Amino acid sequence: MKRIFILSLLSSSLFAADPVEADFYKITTFDTPKETALEVGSIDLMPDGKLVMGTRRGEIWIVSGAGSNDASNVSYKLFASGLHEVLGIAYNPKDKNLYATTRYEITRLKDADHDGRADVFENVNDNWGVSGDYHEYAIGSRFDKAGDLWVTLCLTGSFSSAVPFRGWALRIKPDGTMVPTCSGIRSPGGIGFDADGEAYYCDNQGPWHGSCTLQHLVPGSFQGHPGGNIWYDLAPNMGPRPVDPLPEAFQGERSRKEDRPGGDPDRMVTERERIKQLLPPAVYLVHGKIGNSASAIICDLSGGKFGPFSKQLFIADQSHSNLSRVYLETVNGIKQGVVIPFRSGFASGIIGGRMDEEGRVFVGGSDRGWGARGGKPFCFEKCEWTGKTPFEVHEMHAKPDGFEVTFTQPVDAATAGDVKSYSMREFTYAYREQYGGDEVSEILPKITAATVAADGKSVRLTISPLTKGHIHELHLDGVRSAEKLSLLHKVGYYTLNEIPAK
Amino acid sequence: MTRLLFALLLAAATARAVEPAVFSLKTMTAQMKYDTAEMLVQPGQAVKITFENGDDLPHNLVFCQPGTDTAAMAMKQMEKPEEALKRNWLPDDKRIWAHSKMLNPHEKEVLNFSAPEKPGNYPYVCTFPGHALTMRGVLKVAPVGGTLHDLHFALYLGNWQQLPDFSKLKPHREGKIEDNLIQVKLDDYKNEFGVVFTGKLLAPKKGSYRFYLSSDDGSRLLIDGKEVLLYDGIHPAGDIKEQGVTLEKGEHEFRLEYFQGGGQIELYAAWKGADTQITPLSKWLHPKWKGGTKKQKEFEPIPLVVKDEAVIYRNFIQGAGNRGIGVGFPGGVNIAWSAESMNLALIWRGAFMDASRHWNSRGGGQEKPLGYDVLQPTGEVTPAFFVTDRPEAEWPKWDKTKRYEGFHWLGYSLDAKRSPTFRYTWQGAEVEESFAVEGNGNKPDGEAKLIRTVKVGRNVPANAWYRLGSGVFESKDGSFVSKGPLPYRITAEGAQMAGSNLVIPAKTGTMTITYQWAQ
Repeated sequence: MKRIFILSLLSSSLFAADPVEADFYKITTFDTPKETALEVGSIDLMPDGKLVMGTRRGEIWIVSGAGSNDASNVSYKLFASGLHEVLGIAYNPKDKNLYATTRYEITRLKDADHDGRADVFENVNDNWGVSGDYHEYAIGSRFDKAGDLWVTLCLTGSFSSAVPFRGWALRIKPDGTMVPTCSGIRSPGGIGFDADGEAYYCDNQGPWHGSCTLQHLVPGSFQGHPGGNIWYDLAPNMGPRPVDPLPEAFQGERSRKEDRPGGDPDRMVTERERIKQLLPPAVYLVHGKIGNSASAIICDLSGGKFGPFSKQLFIADQSHSNLSRVYLETVNGIKQGVVIPFRSGFASGIIGGRMDEEGRVFVGGSDRGWGARGGKPFCFEKCEWTGKTPFEVHEMHAKPDGFEVTFTQPVDAATAGDVKSYSMREFTYAYREQYGGDEVSEILPKITAATVAADGKSVRLTISPLTKGHIHELHLDGVRSAEKLSLLHKVGYYTLNEIPAK
Repeated sequence: MTRLLFALLLAAATARAVEPAVFSLKTMTAQMKYDTAEMLVQPGQAVKITFENGDDLPHNLVFCQPGTDTAAMAMKQMEKPEEALKRNWLPDDKRIWAHSKMLNPHEKEVLNFSAPEKPGNYPYVCTFPGHALTMRGVLKVAPVGGTLHDLHFALYLGNWQQLPDFSKLKPHREGKIEDNLIQVKLDDYKNEFGVVFTGKLLAPKKGSYRFYLSSDDGSRLLIDGKEVLLYDGIHPAGDIKEQGVTLEKGEHEFRLEYFQGGGQIELYAAWKGADTQITPLSKWLHPKWKGGTKKQKEFEPIPLVVKDEAVIYRNFIQGAGNRGIGVGFPGGVNIAWSAESMNLALIWRGAFMDASRHWNSRGGGQEKPLGYDVLQPTGEVTPAFFVTDRPEAEWPKWDKTKRYEGFHWLGYSLDAKRSPTFRYTWQGAEVEESFAVEGNGNKPDGEAKLIRTVKVGRNVPANAWYRLGSGVFESKDGSFVSKGPLPYRITAEGAQMAGSNLVIPAKTGTMTITYQWAQ
């Protein structure tokens, strides 16, 4: 312990001019119970600072002491076992019971004899189909403002839906009734809420998805993958079935790198005109750069205890073992925003995550099935703010002719006001049935002005052209803070679904 | 005509001429693995690989020079992801000497190349981000070793459970094997015989050699009269046994003893030297070593051990549908209950479940019970309750795409020993059922019993029947004994046969049903 402390002192003095993520956000790795592989699939908060975790092995563990500054204070108690993959766990403060989303059912767990182990397992809702295909994961939320649970159901494999509601988001009301809520889901990785209580889920790269995405679950919307749309008959509340998007790429072997003179029909921005229920992803979590397997969605409601990113979202990734940060805004009624790398170096693939009121982010997961950079087969970890504020892009706002970028610290007016400190690239993905896809339709716009605000906390960039539907990749390599520091992360990817009128 | 025929092939010393090495390599669905961990070729040999992506993620197949840290090579692409994306995740690395395209799910590509002239272990890997740690294998380039010569056989007749002392027996027939490959081919004597093969093997130099042996049934391999490998007893050719020995340069006496009890006849032997690849000495090639490839290992077992409390395991249990609930009771009796048909699906004895299929990789697939004597008293995933005025009628069959109408799953509670009581409603009537075990299912004394108690609430429809079993049952001492291949006994008050259905009129009240493996 002492040696590590000295080492970190050394490294911080040697590289004081070159800060690293760990200077601002530290990761603590907990020991986990020896009798199991704690492949965390979901995490929620319980009273008295306790946590509850559901695992891929179907166990539910109650964790005490994880908030303590001394990681050895952590202790675990097995509350339930033998469930079929707990990829959603929710504590209900109203009835004080736990609700587990498992492969084929939402289960209410009670401890009737108060011995610390669940002894009553009640089916709350099981009104969705399970064909036996491994891919049919069910990812559940915690309780929303209305007391509902949300479930996102993976398709049967990547393309189709063999049984009801595969490829849908459902809401389960407190009385156990089910409300089909959104269609168009492919392979969900996590579900969560923003500071206003709006629901989002992460989808994964594959058919109809050139990249992983963060998607806004607006009731009634179609989220993009038509594989599950055969079940509209079972969901009269959803209105008529959307027209199908064009499976363009299957019409030929045309290279996706060449653009068609008349424009490409397989673009989200084009198909939105034709398919009225289609809601574009709020943010593309750019494939290979931000992550490969987006999972948990964690909102910072700690009021500053996790640093300067209050109310922003943190998106976990299983294969990259990292967290990225998302700032969202609403333009013309649609969510869009920027994703920026935040913290890498978690020990395994992150699947579940939750922040407590004290601004501690608890994450856990496993690398099973897809591999993860972290290298460990599973982990349970905590990420905390060290109290030092990194020099980072804080928010990025779309403007009619460019972007306004705000910073966590005042900028150096000379570098931040120089257009040569920035570069931008715009691209999109084909919206097509084929698996994944390249970054296509690249545009290299001109940055014509960079105007620093009087308080030095923001810069107004004028960009020509802005392209509706494209991801705007902004590099800020030359920008320095007033203290002459480079940005900790020098890139952001803004998904421009809509260009604001003013 | 009671005689044993051995196949005679013309090819003798040239039995294994250098033909192109043909492989089919597939990515395993949802496992992040290739199905082939090793491929063996000779230096400079023409190689044809049909590479098929059976997974639903993109994968490629990239061959590298010996000693390449393939995981580090794949990971290095992340330093410049834009460039890597443009290259479709094929690393720009001089150590790569052959590769496929990045195949989309369910695409196929045929690769043709010449194997390197230099012997060695050439790793292959998928370079898509995150895959390299588990998606890998080795192309082994090595010359083949020598084969046997002066190979003779001696046939013995007898009924053994283990290898006999052949030196004390008189051979029924003897002969020479012209192609010098160990083989058992016959048009008679399918059971109850033994063969001793003797021949010579030339070690090209002094050094360590390795021998391989597998058989159905027992076998033993001796070099210069010393036992190297023993795989005795009655068994399938499941494993390949192997053992290293040090041999002097020169000729060595080779002896292989084999016996066949009944059923399958298989015999595999091979050897390798320090510089040569595994070279079969037998005509038959073991499936784990077919065409010079080693298939991916199955998972290490994770048995769920039942101690003094019942253990619940909800997962895909073969025979219990997609909403199966396994229960391992103390006392070596286990069940799988279906929350799809609201019925007992399976009963078995011995060990409970192996979770390794579901707790490895992506967790796909149906897993069989780990124990034995698996009973499935009624059809697969069919409900017990049914309204009919003809109890001999066919009960509803499972349609995987639909749910049974009229049933609503409520859940279960556990008692102090974690034994569950399942609850559901049928046509509005509440039903609950619980289980008790008597005797010990791990013992073959026939005393182990499963006692099932079904409590049926009010509002049972008219003409409702409860089916306990389907098939042929014989009424005996107040019980019904199944006449299937695995006899068992069902005892319940009021039970009666109706056609091939063993039924009870369903009404409000309690049913006690006892299941017992018959002696």
